[in-house]
Amino acid sequence: MNDTAAALPKPVAGQAEGRRGGLLRRLRYVEPVTLLWLLLVLVLLFLVAAPLLKLFSVSFQAQETGTFTLSNYATAYGRARYLDALVNSLTLGLASAAIAVLLAVPMAWAVSRTDMPGKGFTWAVVLGAFIMPPYLGAVGWILLAGPNSGFVNRFWQWLTSSEGTLFNVYSFEGLALVIALHSFPLVFIFVKAALDLVSSEMEDAANILGAGTWTAMRKVTLPLVWPSILGSFIIVFLETIALFGTPAILGIPARINVVTTQLWQFFEYPVRVEVAAAYAMPLLLVTIGLIAVQKLLLARKGFVSQTGKGGERRMIRLGPWRWAMFGWCALVGALSVAMPLLVLLQASFAKAWGRGISLDNLTLRNYHLLIFEHEMAMTSIWNTIWFSAAAATAAVLIALLVAYIVNRRLMPFGEVLGFLAMAPFVIPGIVMAIGFYAAYASPPLALYGTAALIIFAFTARFLPIAYANSSAAIRAVHPEMEEAARILGSGRLQAVSRITAPLLRKALLGGWLIVFIVASRELSAAIFLVGPRTRTMAVLLYDLSEAGNFEVLAAFGGLLLLITLVLVGIGMKLVGRDFMLRRM
Amino acid sequence: MQGITKRQLLIAGAALGGLTASSRSGAQDMSAHERELYEAAKREGEITWYSGQYSAETSEAIGRAFTERYPEVRCNVVRSTSQVAFQRLSQDARAGVAQCDVFSSTNSGHFQLLKRQSRLLQFRPQNADGMLESIRNADPDNFFHTSFLGLFQLACNSQKVSEDEAPKSWTDLLDPKWRNQLAVGHPGFSGAIGVWAVQMRKMYGWDYFKKLEKNKPQIGRSSQDPVTLLNAGERSVGVAVPAATVLLSISRGNPLRLIYPTEGVLATIAPSGIIRNAPHPNAAKLFMEFQTGPHMTPVLLRYFADPLRPGSPPPEGAKPLDQIKLLAPSIEEQEKGVPEVRELWRDTFGV
Repeated sequence: MNDTAAALPKPVAGQAEGRRGGLLRRLRYVEPVTLLWLLLVLVLLFLVAAPLLKLFSVSFQAQETGTFTLSNYATAYGRARYLDALVNSLTLGLASAAIAVLLAVPMAWAVSRTDMPGKGFTWAVVLGAFIMPPYLGAVGWILLAGPNSGFVNRFWQWLTSSEGTLFNVYSFEGLALVIALHSFPLVFIFVKAALDLVSSEMEDAANILGAGTWTAMRKVTLPLVWPSILGSFIIVFLETIALFGTPAILGIPARINVVTTQLWQFFEYPVRVEVAAAYAMPLLLVTIGLIAVQKLLLARKGFVSQTGKGGERRMIRLGPWRWAMFGWCALVGALSVAMPLLVLLQASFAKAWGRGISLDNLTLRNYHLLIFEHEMAMTSIWNTIWFSAAAATAAVLIALLVAYIVNRRLMPFGEVLGFLAMAPFVIPGIVMAIGFYAAYASPPLALYGTAALIIFAFTARFLPIAYANSSAAIRAVHPEMEEAARILGSGRLQAVSRITAPLLRKALLGGWLIVFIVASRELSAAIFLVGPRTRTMAVLLYDLSEAGNFEVLAAFGGLLLLITLVLVGIGMKLVGRDFMLRRM
Repeated sequence: MQGITKRQLLIAGAALGGLTASSRSGAQDMSAHERELYEAAKREGEITWYSGQYSAETSEAIGRAFTERYPEVRCNVVRSTSQVAFQRLSQDARAGVAQCDVFSSTNSGHFQLLKRQSRLLQFRPQNADGMLESIRNADPDNFFHTSFLGLFQLACNSQKVSEDEAPKSWTDLLDPKWRNQLAVGHPGFSGAIGVWAVQMRKMYGWDYFKKLEKNKPQIGRSSQDPVTLLNAGERSVGVAVPAATVLLSISRGNPLRLIYPTEGVLATIAPSGIIRNAPHPNAAKLFMEFQTGPHMTPVLLRYFADPLRPGSPPPEGAKPLDQIKLLAPSIEEQEKGVPEVRELWRDTFGV
C-alpha cells in the first residue's frame, strides 16, 4: 500500500550507505509513517481499549482476591432498586431524545427550508443552549419551576390566583425536559445539515402531485432526512443515560434514581469498582443494540438526496405561518437559554434568591467570595482551562494523524485506528471514567489525583468529535497538493506539516475549540477522577450544589459561562461565526 | 538616588522589616511546640483537608484563618458532605494514593472504622486539653479529636408558619398537615443526617421514617439543603438542619426561626483525624492544633457555629448548651447504624 514516491529513493540511499548492521539498515526502510502508525496504535490502545478491557475484566473479579467470579453481576442486579434505576435511565433517555427531536426538527426545517425570519437569532439560541452546561440549566430550572417558589409557578399562581403548580421541575417530566433543552442542539445540527442537501425538486414533485407544504414536508422531506433524525435521537439518548449532574441535582428531590447516580452509590464505602463495572456493562450492550437497530431501520431503503445533477434549493414561502415557526424557535430559546440564564444571573447577584429582584437584595458578595476568598474556585478555573486545552490539543493531534492515515490509506488496517478513535462516541462518559479509574488510578501507574489522568480521560472521551472533524477536513483536501510536494522531494511528514496542516488550520482550530468547550463543562467523566488539587469547575459546581447555596452556585456558573463565551467569541473571530455548528 | 542617604535606607529597611514582622504577628505568641510544628509545616507548604463538618463557607474561612496564622502553609479545603468526603478518602485508599492529610466527618463511625483499619496517625494536640471537658477525649488512644460540635434541629419559614402552628417535636412532623411542607437532607450524603436517622430509629423505630414518607418530604443531599428551600419559601419546615446555618441565614435577613424539639436536639460531636500516610504530616499536626486551639473560635462565632472551648458565649441567637437537652447515639451505634439506615432510607424513600 506504500505509494511509490516514498518507496523509490530509499533503496538507492540504502545501497550507498553500505552494510552498517542489519537492524539499522532495515530500520531505514521503515517509513516514518509506519512508526507513527505503531505509536498511534499504542496511544489508542492506552486511551480507549485498555480502560474498557480492564473494566470488562474487573467486572468478573472478586474484590480483594481478584479471582474469577460472577457475584458482581449478582450484586449489581440482585436488587429491585438497582434494576429500577436501569429502567429509569432507559425511559429517561427515550423521553429526552423524543423531546429533543420534537424541539429541534421544526427549528431545523424552518431554518433550512423556509423563509422564516430571525434565522440568525435561531442560530444564537442553538449555540446558547449548546454552551450552557446541562447541570447549570438544571439549577436555573430549579429557580424557575420549583413547585412553590419557582418564578414560573409563582407567576402562574398570581395569574390564576390559585395555589396550583404549572410545572414541577422535581419530576420525571421535569428531568426529561431539562435534559432535552440542553441536548436538542445536537439534533438541530444533524438534521439541518441533512435538510440542506435535499433539493427543492423533490418537494416540487410532491406539490405537482397535489400535496400541500405540510404534506410534502411530512411525506417527502422528513423521510429523506430520517437517518439524521434517528442518528441524532440515538446520540441524545446516549448523552442522557450517561449524564450525571442533572439527575443528581433534580433526581434526588424527584425521587428518581438512575444508572449514573446508582454507579455513584457503588463508589460509596467500601468502593466497589467491580460491582460498578458489572453494572455498567448493560449500558454498553444497550448502546451496541441501538446501533444495530439503527442499521436495521435504515437498511434497504434509499435516502439519496444528493445526486450528480445539481438540484435547486428554494425557500418555501410560509406566509403567516412563518411567524408561528419563529414563535416556536423563540419559545425554545426562552426555555433553554433566556429564562434559566436570567434567573441564574438574578440569583448570582442576590443575597437570597427567593426574595426576588429588589435593591436591598442586591450584592456582589457571591462573586467576591468566589474570586477573592475561595481559593479552590480560582484553582479550579485554572485547572479547567489547562486540562481542557491539553485534552483538546492531544485529541486534535491524534485525530488528525489517524484521519490522515485512514483517509490516505497509508497503512493496511488503517480502519482499525479509525474504529478505535470513534469508539468512545458510544461509551457513556461515566463508564469510561470508571474504566480509567480501574485501569490507571492504582499503581503501577498511580495516576489518581494527577492532572494527567483527567487529561487522558477527556482526550479519550472527546476523541470522536475531533476525529469526525479532522476526517471531514482531510477529505476536503485533495492529495494532489501533497503529491506535488512529494515529487519535489519533500518527505511525507514534511508535506503534511507544510502543506496539509496549514490548509486545515481553520477546521482544526474549530475542532480544537469544540473539544475545549465540551471538555471544560464535562462532569461525568471527571467526577470519579479528580483529586483535591485537580478539581475542575464542573466538579466544584457539583460540590457547591451539594450545599444547596444557590446564590454562590449561580455566581460560579456565571463565571463558567463568561469564560466559555470569551472562548466562543475568540473562536468566531478566528474560524468564522458557525464554527461550532458546522459539523460535529 | 542622590537624595537618599545610607541612614534613610537603613530606616526604610527597618520599617520594611517591622512590616513583615507585624504581618506575622502570630509568630510571637507561639509556644515552642507550635513554632517547631510550624517550621516543619512550612517546609511541607500545604495541607489538604477533606471535610464534611462545617458549611462550605465556614470551612473556607477556617482554611483562610489557618493560613493567616501560619503564613506559607496553604490549606486546601476540600469541602463536601461527609459521606462524599469519606467516599473520596476510600477512593484514594483503593487506588493506593495518599492525598488527604486531615479528615473531618460528622459521622464519628468513620473514625472508628479508620482506626480499626490502622489508617489514622496517633497524635494528641496539646490544645485538646483546653477544650470543653466533655469533648476533650474523643478517643482514648488519641487517633482522633473533636473538631465539631453541631446542633441539628428544626427550623421553619416564619412567614409561612406561625409560632403556634410550628412543630414542637420530632414526632409532630408526622402530622398530615405537614404534607409537602418538609425538607430534609440525605444520609447517603450528609453524615449528620445519617446520625440523626440512627437516633430517630433508636427512639421511634424505622416506622418513624415510613410515616415521614407519607408527608412527602423534599429530599436534598446536605443537611443544609433545607435552609435554602426555606429561604425561598419552597418548603416551610426544615428537618434536622444545622443550627449554625439557620442562624447565619437569619442574620442575612431571611425569614427563618429555629425550633428546639421537646425530645431534645441532635448533638453531633464529631472528630477529625490525621491520615496515616498523610503527605504533609507536620502541617496536619499543626492543623489539628489549630482546630482544637483558641484561634478557630472567632471564626466559628462569626459563622454562628458552637465553639469547642469554654469561655465563649454561645453563637448569637442560640440557647446556651447547658439549657438544651442533647441527643446523640454512641460512636459504636453510629458506625454500625449509619450504613443500615442509609440502605433502609433508600428503600423507604426511593432515592
